[in-house]
Amino acid sequence: MSLIWKLLRQHVSIGQLAGFFLANLLGMLIVLLSVQFYEDILPAFSGEDGVMKNTYIIVSKRIAAVSTLSGEAQTFTQADIHELEQQPFTRRVGAFTASQFQVYASLSMGGLGMGTDMFFESVPDSFSEFSQTAAAQDFSAAAEIPIILPRTYLALYNFGFAATKNLPQLSEGVVSMVPMDFRLRGEGGAERRMKGRVVGFTTRLNTVLVPESFMRQMNQELAPHASAEPTRLIVEVKNPTDDAIASFMQRRGYELEDDSLAAGRATYFLKVVAGVVMAVGLLISALSFYILMLSIFLLVQKNAEKLQNLLLIGYSPARVSLPYQLLTVILNALVLVLATGLLLWIRSLYLERLWQMFPALSEGSLLPALLLGLGLFLFVSLLNIFTIRHKINSLL
Amino acid sequence: MTTITLHHTLPAVFAQRTDITSEVWQQDVTLTRGYLYLIEAASGTGKSSLCSYLTGYRRDYSGTIAFDGRDVRSLKTADWTALRQRSLSMVFQELRLFPELTAWENVQIKNQLTHFRTDAEVMAWFEALGISDKRDVKLARMSFGQQQRVALIRALCQPFDFLLADEPVSHLDKDNSRLMGELMLAEAQRQGAAVVVTSIGHHMELPYTKIFKL
Repeated sequence: MSLIWKLLRQHVSIGQLAGFFLANLLGMLIVLLSVQFYEDILPAFSGEDGVMKNTYIIVSKRIAAVSTLSGEAQTFTQADIHELEQQPFTRRVGAFTASQFQVYASLSMGGLGMGTDMFFESVPDSFSEFSQTAAAQDFSAAAEIPIILPRTYLALYNFGFAATKNLPQLSEGVVSMVPMDFRLRGEGGAERRMKGRVVGFTTRLNTVLVPESFMRQMNQELAPHASAEPTRLIVEVKNPTDDAIASFMQRRGYELEDDSLAAGRATYFLKVVAGVVMAVGLLISALSFYILMLSIFLLVQKNAEKLQNLLLIGYSPARVSLPYQLLTVILNALVLVLATGLLLWIRSLYLERLWQMFPALSEGSLLPALLLGLGLFLFVSLLNIFTIRHKINSLL
Repeated sequence: MTTITLHHTLPAVFAQRTDITSEVWQQDVTLTRGYLYLIEAASGTGKSSLCSYLTGYRRDYSGTIAFDGRDVRSLKTADWTALRQRSLSMVFQELRLFPELTAWENVQIKNQLTHFRTDAEVMAWFEALGISDKRDVKLARMSFGQQQRVALIRALCQPFDFLLADEPVSHLDKDNSRLMGELMLAEAQRQGAAVVVTSIGHHMELPYTKIFKL
């Protein structure tokens, strides 16, 4: 081998190989970095790691002017619900059940009385935050209705209503202590009076929530003939950042109640950016590969006579190709090792910053980037090996 | 390999000519293992073409060339590689040595491939041919006559059935020419191989079996 190498290293251009080396290193580094950064930053957008944890989304049909005029309710049919359940991003679907009876609530506080017409809604208990005992009790006349209010309602009262009307501002704890009287009126004058109490506040569900068991019991008791299809659905999704959710909802004309999909959009954007950066890296890699091939072809051309002589004295094309193939593979391997080293170094720099922004962030896996690097190395090396052999064969 | 046969072979460049009078071109010629052949040629009669057809790096001829009855046009790269390692040794007119390497390295590059000779055997030939003092000299610094001797030694570093020597002694005096001839003959006889020598006028004195006029 050493004698052949001594012959064939003639005309090896260090400048050209250094050019290839740097270009390929840059390309490889950009590709690996784009993948690794994507892996590392993705948990910050997806729910699993607590930064924006929210795997429930609330879906309603878009309210158009026509439907407002016609009075037609934008309800979900069984077929709609079934279709949603079948989507790959869905874990489970629950329907909102609206009260089919009238609700009048009143409370008296230190001689001050207030009353209002209102409504109840429920979602399946597994979606709501009612404790097991609250949801499971029998709602006989003496029982208290446990209610969950949106936190925004309290804010609306405290900072809007109470401030302008000179009423006292209430804390969550105080509100929970105030008993409320409810008058529920259904079909044919059926009526029921109950006490109720706010047991909690939620930021997740924008409605006045009661346990589903209570709702079922009261609807049956007070409005046995009414049945309504749900106007809103609660969907637990596997990954709220999944682009498929937004595109499905858009296709069906469904609306999402909160900005839980903002993360999904951010992720989509991140994917696009990572994709563009990776494409640039791949382009640089491809160009550097082109430089290497040109350099090797030039080398083969310059050493054509030597190569031909070696073949004529009995060397096989495989054996003659080997030095150049080894040269390129070693260069590629060096690029891979160096690019991986640089990747780890740069990653340690940006991870520090990321942790300052998202302390709970867990680091993404290194595996995809490393596998991709290895894949690129194998692909480029095999291509090198093949083209060099092909070129040598053409000398025969 | 036992026979090399040429059947109506003619270099493509001669295809238009009608005045060919040759004992090789457009004839049926058989070269057999174990014999000594001399091919005498005038300039421009296609001697080098013949050698390049037989070593497989040119194919611009009509007619057939066959090794043991097998048309050489059907040989694959791997077949040629095997032939050049084990059956067919060649001393090229243009030598095809490597000027960057020393005389010794030029021989070693072949012997490392075949592992056919010991260093002692090779060294003995260097001495017999009078170039032992040039062993570690870069080939580029040696005279053509000295290089011809290196080329012969390299050609002997492999098993062969046919040794083709294209004007092997063109730049050697009578004594050196005789030494080369003796060495070639001895090695060929030891292997039971044929020797095919070409020459323009000045040729090695060997007990040729047959002399062809190209």
